[in-house]
Amino acid sequence: MNTETDIKKKPNYLNPYFGGVLLGLLLLATFFIAGRGLSASGAVKLSLVTVVNKIAPEHAANNTYYSKFIPEDGSSIMFNWLVFGAIGTFFGGMLSGVLYGRMGKLRVEHSPKISKRTRIIAAAIGGLLFGMGSQFGRGCSSGAALSGTAALSFGGLLVMAFMFGIGYVVAYFVRKLWI
Amino acid sequence: MKEELFVSGRNIPNIDPYLNIWHWEIPVYLFLGGLAAGIMFFAGYFTIMRKEKEMQATVKYAPFLVPFALVLGLFALFLDLKHQLYFWRLYTTVRLESPMSWGAWTLMFVTPLSMLWVASYMKEVFPKWDWKFNILNQFEALAIKYRKAMAWALMFLAVVLGVYTGILLSAFNARPLWNTSILGPLFLVSGMSTGLAAIIWMSKSKYERKVLSRIDLIFIGVELFLIIHMFMGFMAASEVQIEAAQLFLGGEFTVVFWVFIIILGLIFPATLEVLELRGFHIPIWIPSLLILIGGLLLRFVMVEAGQITRYLY
Repeated sequence: MNTETDIKKKPNYLNPYFGGVLLGLLLLATFFIAGRGLSASGAVKLSLVTVVNKIAPEHAANNTYYSKFIPEDGSSIMFNWLVFGAIGTFFGGMLSGVLYGRMGKLRVEHSPKISKRTRIIAAAIGGLLFGMGSQFGRGCSSGAALSGTAALSFGGLLVMAFMFGIGYVVAYFVRKLWI
Repeated sequence: MKEELFVSGRNIPNIDPYLNIWHWEIPVYLFLGGLAAGIMFFAGYFTIMRKEKEMQATVKYAPFLVPFALVLGLFALFLDLKHQLYFWRLYTTVRLESPMSWGAWTLMFVTPLSMLWVASYMKEVFPKWDWKFNILNQFEALAIKYRKAMAWALMFLAVVLGVYTGILLSAFNARPLWNTSILGPLFLVSGMSTGLAAIIWMSKSKYERKVLSRIDLIFIGVELFLIIHMFMGFMAASEVQIEAAQLFLGGEFTVVFWVFIIILGLIFPATLEVLELRGFHIPIWIPSLLILIGGLLLRFVMVEAGQITRYLY
């Protein structure tokens, strides 16, 4: 059997509806195992707090925002479910890319109308805004929207509605980055 | 006020109740020694099997890493010594009952031999290479002539070196975690696996990577088997060894051991290697890097955890 040819014939992605069901089951599993839902921005936030705590421990301890994430028992800030969730997401995503033939050489995917540089700058600005927004909203699309709605939180529903609603509106102004 | 003086034999700083003498230098050295042993073993093996042409990275290119790995490892070991200027005294005696003596002498033979092996391939790898002196050219011709004999010696010494990296710890009977005869074969197999990972990373030949990935899968399987049996041995042993195993079964080394060494350092890269063998495209550096990091962490964890396990309470 020529597997290389077979792989090329496969769809590049899972059926989105089936993927959605799997995501829901994953969320259920995380609530069951860890007692809390998924999160993506949490691991980045904890990494940031770790760096600040390493460089300026007094500042981190006195700061209302940072001090919330520093364990009182002296254990590592990174010893947290969110960090391991992010590590699992990274390697799970890698496995998915391998199985569906999306794994190739390191590359920057972008619209043919923009350069790699523009794509990276736009992604960095978008990431910056998303990171800030996720902290104002007390969670990102995974932590607040997905996990929040799964727990029937009104805040989670609001985040979901505004995140995607505003996303649709703003997409018009930045459409040339993609089409 | 009543004053009391307690005299106890248990207050020996850095020795008892916890050993605190081996830091990063030892696991780095054990890792580099194992890596070098793995590369040398397969360079020798495929030379003896007359597969030099098909296995070029294994026989020619990867061995260039070995002298660097050994010298860096020895330098780490040197940094660890309390009385550094007396290191040469290891070479004034042969003590068969001492693993350190075995290691010192093995390294004394294996380091120049690995350099000789590399020298015999210098002109093939760097065609413009010139030894400058005629005597060196004659020496090179001699090394090429006796390459097969060197391959046998490399294989034998690689096994001794690989086993010794584990026995160095297991001979330390006073620490329950290290007091198991499985450490020698475990570190040997792990060293072979990290050596294979490094060669696979360097190889540009599909055939060579396929052969090496298959061998690596066997080694990963054996490594998992040995780890399971090591824990079974601990759990069936005395209370102190059960407590030593508990460090990995709910204790402070649980996460780093099971997540980073077993899953990300062995099972996940093995899965990627299986997928690659079945025709899926995988950037080869990913499983190799994971195996190398897993191997390094295994040594860090075993050295660190072993020092805090003890017999006397």
